[in-house]
Amino acid sequence: MNRVSTNQANNDMIYHTYRRQKLMNDLQNKMAEQTRIRELRDDPVAAAHSARFLSRISRLERFQENVENVQSFRRVAEGYMNEANQILHRIREIAVQGATGTFTKEDKKIMGQEVNELLKELVEVANASGADGSKLFGGDRNLTEPFRALEGRHPEINGRVISKVDYVGGNKDNFVEISDENLIPSGFRGNSIFWAEQHQIFSGVNAESYTVPEDTAIMIDGVRIPLAAGDNIYGIIARIKDSDAAVDAYLDPVSNSLNIRSTVPHQILLEDEQGGSVLQDLGVVSGNGRPPFNIASDARESGGSVFDMVISLRDSLYAGDTLDIGGRGIQGITSAQNNLVQEIAKLGSVDERMEIVWNRLNREIPQTQEQNSLASDIDMAEAILELKMLEYTHKAALQTAGRILQPTLMDFLR
Amino acid sequence: MQSTFSGIEIGKRSLIAHTQGMTTVGHNLSNASVEGYSRQRVHFKATDPLYMPQLNRENTPGQIGQGVDITRIERVHDELLEGKIVSRANGRGYWEARDSYMLQLEQVYNEPTESSVRTLMDRFWDSWQELSIHPQEGAARQAVVQRGEALMDGIHRQYSRMKEIRNMVEDDLTATVGRVNAILNDVRSLNEEILKVEALGDNPNDLLDRRDLLVKQLSGLINITVDNRDPDEFSIHTQGRHLMQGRVLTPLRTDPNPLNEGYSTVRWAESGEEAHFTGGKLQALLDLRDGDIRGEIQKLDVLAMNYIDLVNEIHRSAYGLDGENGRAFFEEVPFVTDVAGNYDRNGDGEFDSSYIFRVTGTNTLNPQDHVGLQGTITLSGPQGNIEIPYNPTDTVGDVISRINRAGAEVVARLDQSGRMAMKALPATEIENPDFVIRHIEDSGQFLVGYAGILQNSGAEGAYDWEQADAVLAFRGGGDSYAIAPVAHPSGWIEITGALKNDINRLAAGFGENGRPANPGDGSAALSVAQLRTRPVMLGNLMSFDDFFAETIADVGLRGEQAQRTFETENLVMKELEGMKQALSGVNIDEEFSQLIKFQHGYNAAARFISTFNSMLDTIINRLGV
Repeated sequence: MNRVSTNQANNDMIYHTYRRQKLMNDLQNKMAEQTRIRELRDDPVAAAHSARFLSRISRLERFQENVENVQSFRRVAEGYMNEANQILHRIREIAVQGATGTFTKEDKKIMGQEVNELLKELVEVANASGADGSKLFGGDRNLTEPFRALEGRHPEINGRVISKVDYVGGNKDNFVEISDENLIPSGFRGNSIFWAEQHQIFSGVNAESYTVPEDTAIMIDGVRIPLAAGDNIYGIIARIKDSDAAVDAYLDPVSNSLNIRSTVPHQILLEDEQGGSVLQDLGVVSGNGRPPFNIASDARESGGSVFDMVISLRDSLYAGDTLDIGGRGIQGITSAQNNLVQEIAKLGSVDERMEIVWNRLNREIPQTQEQNSLASDIDMAEAILELKMLEYTHKAALQTAGRILQPTLMDFLR
Repeated sequence: MQSTFSGIEIGKRSLIAHTQGMTTVGHNLSNASVEGYSRQRVHFKATDPLYMPQLNRENTPGQIGQGVDITRIERVHDELLEGKIVSRANGRGYWEARDSYMLQLEQVYNEPTESSVRTLMDRFWDSWQELSIHPQEGAARQAVVQRGEALMDGIHRQYSRMKEIRNMVEDDLTATVGRVNAILNDVRSLNEEILKVEALGDNPNDLLDRRDLLVKQLSGLINITVDNRDPDEFSIHTQGRHLMQGRVLTPLRTDPNPLNEGYSTVRWAESGEEAHFTGGKLQALLDLRDGDIRGEIQKLDVLAMNYIDLVNEIHRSAYGLDGENGRAFFEEVPFVTDVAGNYDRNGDGEFDSSYIFRVTGTNTLNPQDHVGLQGTITLSGPQGNIEIPYNPTDTVGDVISRINRAGAEVVARLDQSGRMAMKALPATEIENPDFVIRHIEDSGQFLVGYAGILQNSGAEGAYDWEQADAVLAFRGGGDSYAIAPVAHPSGWIEITGALKNDINRLAAGFGENGRPANPGDGSAALSVAQLRTRPVMLGNLMSFDDFFAETIADVGLRGEQAQRTFETENLVMKELEGMKQALSGVNIDEEFSQLIKFQHGYNAAARFISTFNSMLDTIINRLGV
């Protein structure tokens, strides 16, 4: 290009000015919005990473909130469990006192009264609500009181006393996600916490020649145990033993019937899966009603809740039966306390696990935020330098253009 | 003997010639900033001298020069350079259009900010997490519905913005076709005028400049080649066909295409054949409209459709606070209400197609099991069917991944209960409908007895959509398949009215053993929340995270490419046009010096005439009395 037309110089100047101004404008906008990526085209891959990071951060924050939520819920429950333990401690003291033969029948009646009052208090504690109004120990039925006290008359007392306390709460555990695919149970079931003895169910039906008619399943404590067609009673017992449920099964040596026993003190929940009838045929459940109210009428149960123990002790005190107070009475309260203390310990260890997760989340969130920042945030120092450079170039270019674009031959001809 | 007045004649000729020169300089100066103007030069030539070797010549020493003549007025112009500019204008036109629309498309995504569809979706999932912790609370349910509605709004908005851009491109397309025809008309009338002027031996410089400019503009719209070898016929060709030849032109027209939602197809006006181009703005608009934008809308539809399918699957098996199950969370709007999905595609009064979106097998599978079977699965693909072989040593998970990576328009996954579900993707070809399974076949037993999808193996047992009641090929009954949705789920996705009116119908728990869920049972809410990170197969991408990352990167990369290529094309054009300017552009200083030159020439000629005049005066007036 040896020849330069007049327009060419103009066009060139405009082209370069436009480009510079566009760069300056972009930079200014990026600085104002504090991001390197205003349009996706500025750095598509970094934008994609940033999207992943942002979503991950919001997810981690939600997990942290979940952990905090569950932790505070559990703390309240722990408080109530401790209170229940205190009450049981006091009841035990009274039982020990009552077991010594130095008190009269009248004295024992008064002790019984105190135990009665403590029993009412215990029922209150078991029916306690959390901060959001839901019942703490009701499992998944947490809008209604989990323990129902039935009142009746007692020969030795004037007025009505609590004759039985039934668990009418829910049987299902609710799970909460505290990190990816990591679930913890968030509720408590009263029929596990406030249980004293091993629950045993003795069926009355001879099971020697029983075979399962078709593929089906039974549910024990919510655990599904599949049974195949043709299994006999020994096969069924083997499957029950192999399953995750905290129960043991055996054939009664006398009546050849199926007996089921818990291995950890809690109320066993039994039912057939929809469409099946194995437990019903074996005489364990009745087929009507929901667990735990569906035990067959000719099956025997043994092993009671905390309340059963306390009521039994109270009645022994009213009756003045020292042997019973000292034997079964104290024994029952001790079992109740042992189970409760174990539950509190279990609570503690789950708490520890949640602490660990919380700490990990607490580290991971700022780390992810940092990664996101690296991908999408603008380096202010770098940006300002670049802007300054552009400004300088702009001024220089305009000044130069001003000098060389003006004069033409026209100016010099007469 | 020479003529007495020949001197004046010489002077006169010189005056005229130099005036012409100055006029042309004036013309150049006036048109210096006109686009496409080539500077014009007057060519002087010495007039034929006396005497030519002829019989009636005077016997005097010669030849005697007779002054100056103008031979022609020509524009300074390089045809070859012009040809190069015309061909590059095509590339620039394509990328210019593509760059501006791709930017708009990128901006629809609003990423990576806190106000995109992805963020709304995250907040929606968040509300399900909250519900799983406090399922008994009305406030948590309210939050789910509210955030769900915000998400619906977000999706609708993104859909309508993309549709708007598509409509804008369509309008631009019809306008561009109109412009092409208009330019062709203008060129034709110019051709006629140029022909007339050239027939008389003149150079129609300004007309030629105008024609060149029009041709360059046309090249930016469609790819053309110019043929100027025959001076009587100026031809413009595209793709080997004539657009214009001399006075005959073949215009284009646009026809709405019912298979493409009424968007137009570009055709040759007379033959009705579809017109294809490479490069140029027209092709850029077509690629954008039917390629990029349609693809982005399809991606959003995949998101919406899978949402509806996945969440409803869980919600239907869960119970609300009122103890009822079987309710959908999102409205489902099927393409046809016919239970078997029968539809009459060609409008001849008989059902000829089945519109099914998803089919689920009857058997529960374990992803780690070895299949122990051999065969080939045939699925519909973008162009024809795709075959996917499987061997006895493959696991169920292997076969499913192979299906998903095969590039077919059907993908597979194991659902909540471990059953194999096969879903349709949006179609690549415009003639095929979105979200409709077109072909499933298995030469072995995997899909047949093992997964429980088809009744029989081989071609007789294949599912093919181009027949009524094709669902009879499925093993499962009416609730094992889902009817395809009405077009563009992202436009109509909505939470069911029943849920919005009564939040107690929102189902949060699965219940136990067929019993309705208790208030504290949040198991279903947890399952819905976990959909966010599980591999649920959105199109052929694994999870929602993959989907968002991939769509953002994809549209960003295409935008980046458009921007870079456009810059490059612009730069190249600038160089070429700079070269043209160097040759044909007006330099004012140069023109002025030319003006001075002609001015002096004129003055000299005037002086010469006056000298000759005084000589003649002596002869005429002074000789004799």
